[in-house]
Amino acid sequence: MLILSFRAFAQEAEETGDMVLKAIPQNKNALFNGSEPIRYKLEVRNNTKKQQNGHISYLVTTDEGKKVAGDSVRINLRGGASRDIGFTIPKTAAGTGFYRINFMVKTPDYDDTVRRVFGVNPEKITSKLHRPADFDAFWKQTRTQLAQVPGDYQVQERKDLSTDAKKVYSVEMRSYGGIIIRGWLVVPRDGSTFPVHYRVPGYVVTLKPNMDNDDFIAFDLNVRGNGNSQDVINIGTDNYSVVNIENKDKYIYRGVYMDCLRGVDFLYSHSNLGIDTSKIFVEGGSQGGSLALITAALDKRVKLLTMQVPLYADIHDGYSISESYEQQVFPFKVFRKYQKQHAGFSWEKFYATFDYYDPQNFAPMVKCPVLMGIGLLDQFCPPRCSMALYNHISSTNKEYVCVPNSTHEVDFNYFMFQNLWLREKFRIP
Amino acid sequence: MMKKITAISLFTFLLFVLISPLKTFAGFPIGKYRNVIVPTFSYYRQTDRFDDKDNVIKGAPGTSFTSYSSNLFIGYGISRRLDIIATIPYLYQVNVVTPGTKLVDAGLGDAVVGFSYNLVNSNFVRFLSIGVSAIVPLYNIHNGPSPLGLSAYGSEVKLMYCGNLPKDVATKGYFNLELGYRRYYTTQGPDQISLLGTLGYPVSAHDQLSLDILLWRSFSSNKDFDANIFAAHDYSFFKPQLNYGHTFTRRFSAFVGGFYVPFGVNTGVGYGGSLLAVIKL
Repeated sequence: MLILSFRAFAQEAEETGDMVLKAIPQNKNALFNGSEPIRYKLEVRNNTKKQQNGHISYLVTTDEGKKVAGDSVRINLRGGASRDIGFTIPKTAAGTGFYRINFMVKTPDYDDTVRRVFGVNPEKITSKLHRPADFDAFWKQTRTQLAQVPGDYQVQERKDLSTDAKKVYSVEMRSYGGIIIRGWLVVPRDGSTFPVHYRVPGYVVTLKPNMDNDDFIAFDLNVRGNGNSQDVINIGTDNYSVVNIENKDKYIYRGVYMDCLRGVDFLYSHSNLGIDTSKIFVEGGSQGGSLALITAALDKRVKLLTMQVPLYADIHDGYSISESYEQQVFPFKVFRKYQKQHAGFSWEKFYATFDYYDPQNFAPMVKCPVLMGIGLLDQFCPPRCSMALYNHISSTNKEYVCVPNSTHEVDFNYFMFQNLWLREKFRIP
Repeated sequence: MMKKITAISLFTFLLFVLISPLKTFAGFPIGKYRNVIVPTFSYYRQTDRFDDKDNVIKGAPGTSFTSYSSNLFIGYGISRRLDIIATIPYLYQVNVVTPGTKLVDAGLGDAVVGFSYNLVNSNFVRFLSIGVSAIVPLYNIHNGPSPLGLSAYGSEVKLMYCGNLPKDVATKGYFNLELGYRRYYTTQGPDQISLLGTLGYPVSAHDQLSLDILLWRSFSSNKDFDANIFAAHDYSFFKPQLNYGHTFTRRFSAFVGGFYVPFGVNTGVGYGGSLLAVIKL
């Protein structure tokens, strides 16, 4: 039995309407290798009672919006009828990378577009690492500063939240800059020691006790400014990512990244609670995905990394891709807004700070097994950026799952696989 | 905008109810690099038999066939889809053919060694697998028929479909369906077809009940009745078995079950039980 919440696919929304288009890639995950044809089947259904005459066309663009292919066919569909149309994108049009493919139907009564993305040779995607020369020294110094802050750990059993099956503890610790951060530790009662599922939060997301895991101790840490760790930093989503962005030494994520490491320190100092410190895996989605990666990169006590749609990955290419969006979305919507409001804050200045924080720059330091999930329709974390980050990960024991019709999320199937993957890696029966 | 970002955090981590299926060695993939060891002790007894018309024929007073068998099943996950499996039986049989005439045989029986391959999984919830095995007698087959088995090499192909019960049937529980075909390579065969259905249902966090329904048909030109079910050739039976399982730890579960053969053709009116442990390494 599984318990999870997940969002419906965009696909389902297309099942209603007068004219229904369903784009089905020849490869289920919409990923192709460079030597095979890129084919789509377009199922077109006329749900009206009226004959529809018009055109069906497709347009392929790079993820930066440059047109690479397109075609159009005439369609005549009587009321209630359906038809399958095959499209083959010329191989020469799409080299390694991710491409947007829009299918458009246009009749006198109907005009609609179905937007999809496909990838070609995603494991060959490369990107430039914009790693400052003193990157390692910067983070070494930061870690030294963290080590000088005593953890002052407080663990309190919360009987009001505990159940017959699990004990819930609220935990508190002091982190980088002396800031107090908090989290939740949920320990199954049915056993003596457990591996640890260490979850770090998405962007200004409140993590609560995770009661859904019977085989792991669930440790959910709210980094500064998230959830119950807002004593000092309590900023809404519109500004969180730009706090002190003009100063690499004071940028909010310096402390945030260290909060994640402090969480590992906490786990290691509390094996008495049943924590099997040899089996800690770190996980997160979106911002949490990047925090998880950075935790695994900087702290080898983490043995497995699973991340979904890692935010901020390959920030330079992310910027280029975001330029092609008709409407800006997070995270560049926030960065651009900040730039407009702060004269003189150039992109050069942005990168002068953010290059210290781009998750991609940490990827070569990840040595443990990795599982990553991406959604091809994700505009917050474009698949090219996620794959670029993935390809920079040093560990050869890495896998990724691609969910073709998903936006900034993965699906049920991913989490099912992740569970099996974790059991395999930790040899959990 | 932020709502979308929050959405990813709403994925709660998956919860597997780790009720080990009784047939751990059925179509459920064992898992890469993992081992399953299942030692089983079984008791089988018959005094009466079914004739070739499914009529129960009372056994002669004082006669019976009793078997005490131990099986050791070992499975290892070579990959996410491929498992290597082996079953090694040891039999101890007491066949009282007439009052006071007792035949006792003991020794290794027919080993089954092969592979199981997961063909398709449905969201990692249901699995369709195929098993291909060789049947290898572990006793001397050169001195004529043996009570320890069919005295012939054989092969088995099995199609298995298992997984969680559909949500509209039950919110928890599992099923396993197996369709098997065995062939023994002698002039008398036999050829055997089996259909096994299992329903398992957790009654608590650590306890479960399961019901096995087994249909077995063995075809052979040798129509003779043999009270020894391990050496019989042409027969069929229907065997339900009810099991209770308890999960002690994630690595160790134990099951006890009882069965009865209410219908059969040219076979014994068998009954008995089994005790097995599932050890996951």
